[in-house]
Amino acid sequence: MSSLERRDGNPAVRALIYIVCIFLAVLSIFPFVVMFINSTRSTFEIQQQAVSLIPSTHLMENFKVFNGKSFNPTTGFINSLIVAVGATVLTVYFSTLTAYALVAYRWKMRNAMFTFILCVMMIPGIVTSIGMYQFMYRIHLTNNLLSLILPAVYAPQAVFFFRQFMLASLPLELLDSARIDGSKEFYTFNHIAMPIMKPAMATQGIFAFVYTWNSLFMPSILLTRDNMKTMPVMVSMLKGDIYKREYGAIYLGLSLTVLPLFIVYFALSKYIIAGVALGGVKG
Amino acid sequence: MKKRLALLMALVMVFSLCCFSAPAAFADGKTVINVMSFTDEVPNMINRYVETHPDFADKYEINTTIIATTDGLYQPALDQALASGGADAPDLYCAEAAFILKYAQGDMAQYAAAYEDLGIDVDAEIEAAQIAPYSVEIGTRPSDGKVVGLGYQATGGAFIYRRSIAKDVFGSDDPAVVGEAIGAGTQSWDKFFEAAAALKEKGYAIVSGDGDIWHAIENSSDQGWIVDGKLNIDPKREAFLDLSKQLKDNGYHNDTQDWTEAWYADMAGIGEKPVFGFYGPAWLINYVMAGNSGGSAPGEGTYGDWAVCPSNVGFFWGGTWLLANKDTTKAEAVAEIIKWITLDATEDGLQYGWANGTWSGEQGTKDTVASGAVMAVSNGELDFLGGQNMFEAFVPANEYANGSNLTQYDETINNYWRDAVRQYTSGELSRDDAINAFKTNVADNLDVEVDF
Amino acid sequence: MNNSLQKKHGFSYARYGYYFSIPFILAFLIFNLYPTLYTVVLGFTDSKGLGNITFHILKDDPWKNFRAILKAPTFILSLKNTFVLWILNFIPQITLALILTAWFTSRRNKIKGQGFFKVVFYMPNIITAASVAVLFNALFGYPKGPVNDLLVNMGLRDSTTYFMNSASTTRGIVAFIQFWMWYGYTMIILVSGVLGINPEIYEAAEIDGANDRQIFFQITIPNLRTILTYTLITSLIGGLSMYDIPKMLNNGNPNNSTLTATMFIYNQSFQGSYMYARGAAASMILFLIIAALSAVVFFLMRDRK
Repeated sequence: MSSLERRDGNPAVRALIYIVCIFLAVLSIFPFVVMFINSTRSTFEIQQQAVSLIPSTHLMENFKVFNGKSFNPTTGFINSLIVAVGATVLTVYFSTLTAYALVAYRWKMRNAMFTFILCVMMIPGIVTSIGMYQFMYRIHLTNNLLSLILPAVYAPQAVFFFRQFMLASLPLELLDSARIDGSKEFYTFNHIAMPIMKPAMATQGIFAFVYTWNSLFMPSILLTRDNMKTMPVMVSMLKGDIYKREYGAIYLGLSLTVLPLFIVYFALSKYIIAGVALGGVKG
Repeated sequence: MKKRLALLMALVMVFSLCCFSAPAAFADGKTVINVMSFTDEVPNMINRYVETHPDFADKYEINTTIIATTDGLYQPALDQALASGGADAPDLYCAEAAFILKYAQGDMAQYAAAYEDLGIDVDAEIEAAQIAPYSVEIGTRPSDGKVVGLGYQATGGAFIYRRSIAKDVFGSDDPAVVGEAIGAGTQSWDKFFEAAAALKEKGYAIVSGDGDIWHAIENSSDQGWIVDGKLNIDPKREAFLDLSKQLKDNGYHNDTQDWTEAWYADMAGIGEKPVFGFYGPAWLINYVMAGNSGGSAPGEGTYGDWAVCPSNVGFFWGGTWLLANKDTTKAEAVAEIIKWITLDATEDGLQYGWANGTWSGEQGTKDTVASGAVMAVSNGELDFLGGQNMFEAFVPANEYANGSNLTQYDETINNYWRDAVRQYTSGELSRDDAINAFKTNVADNLDVEVDF
Repeated sequence: MNNSLQKKHGFSYARYGYYFSIPFILAFLIFNLYPTLYTVVLGFTDSKGLGNITFHILKDDPWKNFRAILKAPTFILSLKNTFVLWILNFIPQITLALILTAWFTSRRNKIKGQGFFKVVFYMPNIITAASVAVLFNALFGYPKGPVNDLLVNMGLRDSTTYFMNSASTTRGIVAFIQFWMWYGYTMIILVSGVLGINPEIYEAAEIDGANDRQIFFQITIPNLRTILTYTLITSLIGGLSMYDIPKMLNNGNPNNSTLTATMFIYNQSFQGSYMYARGAAASMILFLIIAALSAVVFFLMRDRK
């Protein structure tokens, strides 16, 4: 059919597209290069010239700074991983479920619920953090990774995204035919709706993972014992003293923080690249 | 289905409730001392104390909470912990120069224990150890006149200058001669600008940027930013506008900002014009200048080409103070630690090792300490300063610094003021507009009355 | 929605809407209700300084904090800045994201390496704002820094420029960073939306002989409406809550030209006098502004069918 008509377009336009894309790609990669190179440079080299493309020889020295600064990359990595994986799974699963409730069923409070979700999404978070902090402190939920994982069930922005995605892409006819086949509602959600949502879930999964992995505010307040700290909290500890900041070690810490993100991101990126076609859906 | 979901939720709830961590209970029956700090510096000191004092280690266990100040989280967390009290409240906590006033003299001072009430004979000990007066002034609570906080480091500032440039312009690198040239001890900037003109003739800048003179100006004022709840622009601080403009318009500096690449470059002598000197305390030499001098032994870069002379205006810059919670139930132990860190002038005290650079091994950095008595028996000779004993200049500098013109809002107000001055100096705002912009910022962002 | 079965059995299935919302509601009640209510109450009190836990409801003059905020020239300026910075970064951001989406989802004109590009364009978003701010501060350093060196060496400028001391360049840098950090994110969302569109619609259009431009504007964009609404609303919320980049790049300077509304709230609450009550009042005002603008967006993007 249409494949016969496929053409490669105007060569000048194609050239322009590639130039723009390559330029943007360089802009994207540049900060990582600076970060990795700076993690091999000494603090004083960095102070004298903050941006350099020439690696130096101080990687091990920067690593040794960690010892004196209660920075334990293995512990930090494990804690960060537990929190990020836990929070991501909860966010993605329960947000899809909530959105499914908003799209697949007609219930009296449906619009009220959606408006409520939009409203809580608009609450500026800065000041509520005082109340959040007081609350966590009073119920002694400090130094417990669950205090960072469980609240992830509540992710209004993700719910909003899944709802909008389902409105466009979830054929309700499919759910009806499942019902006719005798599928239970929860089963329909898990085995019919969720597979269709895969590209959306991968996208939100990446966002949620990156967000949790990098988050600093709640973790620094809630995790005060060394063996509980996450990577970003440990890096912020390196910055503690303005008078003698160990910039080389800070960059090494940042590099070690970002590397696992790379891995997760590239692992999930196939969904961003290809998506999952709506197999078997006939309108 | 419904049941399964409910069960799942119930399980999650129970699971999370079980994991709600109870306040740390130590099985071996030791008493827990909670310490709260923004770097690991003080916790490391306390750990050393515990290691070297087995009797103490048998009875007490240290539980440390460290939250970095850089992201603005330390103070809210500390305030909350102090205000909530209970078993998790810190027994011992640290405050940095930028916010010590709040904890020793301002809104949070009510939570601090007077050293005296912990059982420390504070007046006698301060006298014996010759603690820098500005440090005591800052740590004294105005409501009852009692000392609630002291430090271990002294951060009195002096003028750190290049020997080679001094010889070229003033004919000698002797601290007495250079001190005379910049008006050491005069509390005025007149001689400084004469020197700047002389330096300019030979192609030198006297300082790197206007930030370099700010700490001296800030500390020289007669009154602080707030007097009787109202914003007060002390004439000496207001003069920063004109001094900064003068520096810029005459090309007396390289127009750098502190803590930026160009500022560090001037320490290595590779900036636009060679820079004569920096205003700073001993830590500036050790932690910043030495590493940025472009060398690590005399003859390399500017290493060894520096010397210290007294400043024309007394000031201090930075420092950490130790405070105790008034509700602590472990007063005896807390007092023991505080004494060892802030008041012990013997060779076994912390400060002796700190001053002689033996604190973290033999090759450590020497630093000025709170106790004049310790520095009198310590060796402050530095290769970086061409062998000069830095305590010669810094002991008087600690005496000369002023701790009485500070307020708890200084960190915020100083930021507004320095931005206003930059706007005026660079010609973006007129003098009046700059002052008005500053006043608007203070009026809108702080609970302070402002007259326009 | 043409859904006969749902209508027929509407009653029997409706309860699942409630069941499936339970986890979300529970998490909100447990972790967020208290902080939110606390903030609302705080706005009507004289609370100040964390050390003083006790505070009083302002019974005589409940709107005192709101009035103080609305009268503060700095707050009005911060709202203006927020809009300027948001418009400056959002328009180029959504434009580029849409162009890239059109390029990468074109069924006829396959871009080689588009998988790589899609993945790489999101990468600025995985670095923390603090690191980005440090990097750009270094790049635009004065009187010494890579951008200044480059401009002077290439003869584009005679002397070095103090970028961070001029309102226009600082705003430009903040807007550029926001644009650069978020266009890839927006693009990924749009692309995932396009991938969710039923391919048969495209096949039908191709059989009808529609060209790329027609397909994009007449099929992709209309079918992307719900996702575009999402993008607009979340960018609006994110943009009007902009905080970390302007804060960490130059702390709202020079002369408050990059002070955003959320920074203003932060400064009220966590700095100097710790005026939580005023910060809470300002938060509520900001919330109302965001809600009103979101309502406008929803109205404009409503399903007109």
